[in-house]
Amino acid sequence: MKLLIVEDNKDLLENILKYLEREGYRCETAIDYDEAFDKIMSYTYDVVLIDIMIPKGDGLQVLRELKSVNPETGTIIISAKNSLDDKVSGLELGADDYLTKPFQLPELSARIKAVNRRNNLGGSEIVRANEISINTKTREVSVDEEPVEVTPKEYDLLLYFASNKNRVLSKQNIAEHLWGDYVDHLDNLDFVYQHIKNVRKKLVDAGANDYIESVYSIGYKFKANRSGE
Amino acid sequence: MKLITRFILIYLTITVIVLGIGGVFSYFIIKGEVDRELTFEFMERIDRVTYLLERGRRFHPGRDVDGDRNLIVRELGSPVEERVEVGDTLIYSERLEQNEQNVKVSAYRNINGRSYYISTYGAMIESDDITEAVIKTLLWILGLQIIGAIGVGFMVSGRLFKPFRKTLEKIGNFQLHKKEYVPAEKTGVKEFNDLNKFVEQMTRKAVSDYKNLKEFAENASHELQTPLAIAKGKLELLSETELTEEQYKYIESLERSVKKLSRLSESLALLTKIENHEFQNDEKVDLSDVVLESLEAFKEFIALNNLTVQTNIQEDVKINMHPVLADILWTNLFQNAVRHNIENGVIKIELNSEQLVISNTGKDPEVDPDQLFERFRKAEQSSESIGLGLSIIKRIVDQNDLSIHYSYLDNWHRIEIDLT
Repeated sequence: MKLLIVEDNKDLLENILKYLEREGYRCETAIDYDEAFDKIMSYTYDVVLIDIMIPKGDGLQVLRELKSVNPETGTIIISAKNSLDDKVSGLELGADDYLTKPFQLPELSARIKAVNRRNNLGGSEIVRANEISINTKTREVSVDEEPVEVTPKEYDLLLYFASNKNRVLSKQNIAEHLWGDYVDHLDNLDFVYQHIKNVRKKLVDAGANDYIESVYSIGYKFKANRSGE
Repeated sequence: MKLITRFILIYLTITVIVLGIGGVFSYFIIKGEVDRELTFEFMERIDRVTYLLERGRRFHPGRDVDGDRNLIVRELGSPVEERVEVGDTLIYSERLEQNEQNVKVSAYRNINGRSYYISTYGAMIESDDITEAVIKTLLWILGLQIIGAIGVGFMVSGRLFKPFRKTLEKIGNFQLHKKEYVPAEKTGVKEFNDLNKFVEQMTRKAVSDYKNLKEFAENASHELQTPLAIAKGKLELLSETELTEEQYKYIESLERSVKKLSRLSESLALLTKIENHEFQNDEKVDLSDVVLESLEAFKEFIALNNLTVQTNIQEDVKINMHPVLADILWTNLFQNAVRHNIENGVIKIELNSEQLVISNTGKDPEVDPDQLFERFRKAEQSSESIGLGLSIIKRIVDQNDLSIHYSYLDNWHRIEIDLT
């Protein structure tokens, strides 16, 4: 998968780049409007990440130009502005998703995969992790082609793990992914453990290996080879 | 009291005083004039009597000589120095049944070797009549003055003050968040021009200050989020390296702090936005929907926290509020009730067209209820919360002209918002 990251902050760019490169993506970067414009006009990408506030221009303008030449490219807006106006105008311009800084890298990774799945018409709707397969269209999980009954939150959790294989996901990360802003004000994240326990049990009962492993009781890791992606 | 009313009252008070003093003057001037005329006439009469005496006419001594005329002619025993005396005398008037002040002219004359005292008195007009006439005249003048003053008052407030009222209206309609200053309008009056110019300058300044403040708040929040995003990303990258448990714990605690910082800056930016009236709204939001939808979203939390929720929610409760604010208001209220609850606690929600009440079981409050809505006032100092939730609630409530009330009784915390 080929990505373009439009972000002017070098440190942030490096974070994203490092994280995504480990997923095996080919990443290109642009640090201002001119460079971004040049790249989207010259090449095609699967997904483009766009920061709204960039030097020499506006991220939303990059989005507009991109949509006019390559409407099928997946786009995710990154903004420090949590303002509704930007979100609405970004999505109206055809962005596929919107992330507010400070976002989590596993979250970004999961969103990129989701956008790519949605936009890649020829691509697979099935996310695989060995014997476990997750159908992102019907939101169904099966082990060895045998369906497993999961709740919507359990499905989200599993997909999140599958999108971030072999990475440590802290409880905070997982809680925010599943409950978004609602988790903001809660101190006790034990309910994450409850959910993970349930998912593990269901998968093991269905005959799958136990891939989810606790990391020093702080976070969790989905241990699997990356072949499925 | 309207300026013009006050002006008319002052004007009329002064008029009454001036007319009063003027009345006294008029009385004495008229009376003086009348008395002078009378004196001339009496002098003439005395001259006539003198002439008649010279011709040998005899008058009877005593009063009422010549019938109706108040004439006294008396022969004196010894020669006198010829002179005329003019004075006042009080005469009892039979007709008016009261003493009336009359003019009296007396002359001493030596005629043909005899000496005479000739005196005559009378009043052309009674002094009461003068007073009456003066008062009548003055009352007429006063009446005309009042009519005039009120007429002028109406005209002034109607026409003359029109630019002033227009300016007042514009100031009243001025809204900072619209970022439009009040332009000065030319009028024919210097004072109004000055006022309008001043208003223009003030509103221009207010608008630009507001813009700066807003930009600052937004930029501060924005500038903070980027470094926080970097820190967070680095921590995530770090957590993927080989680490000991201790190191993981440090990272986890750092992540929590970063999250807290970012929430803090978001909340402060939100407070600023609410205070800057950035959420202006004319549409209605269905509060019942907001509450019910959030309960659905919170369902798992409620279950995982072993809480029970009892609801009595009337449908279609609509209030005038920006939808975003309504959502923030409710989410904060509910999270507050969850966070400060106890094991196996209860949350009660009542919503009807009059009020929204959320009460929850909880520990005794450590903070004075009056201070609860202040910024960074936390029920438990140690808690992870940032202490802005209730101030955000309060700000939203204030902004929408609602009232909020907190009470605590027997382990029940109760927050009530009047929706009417």
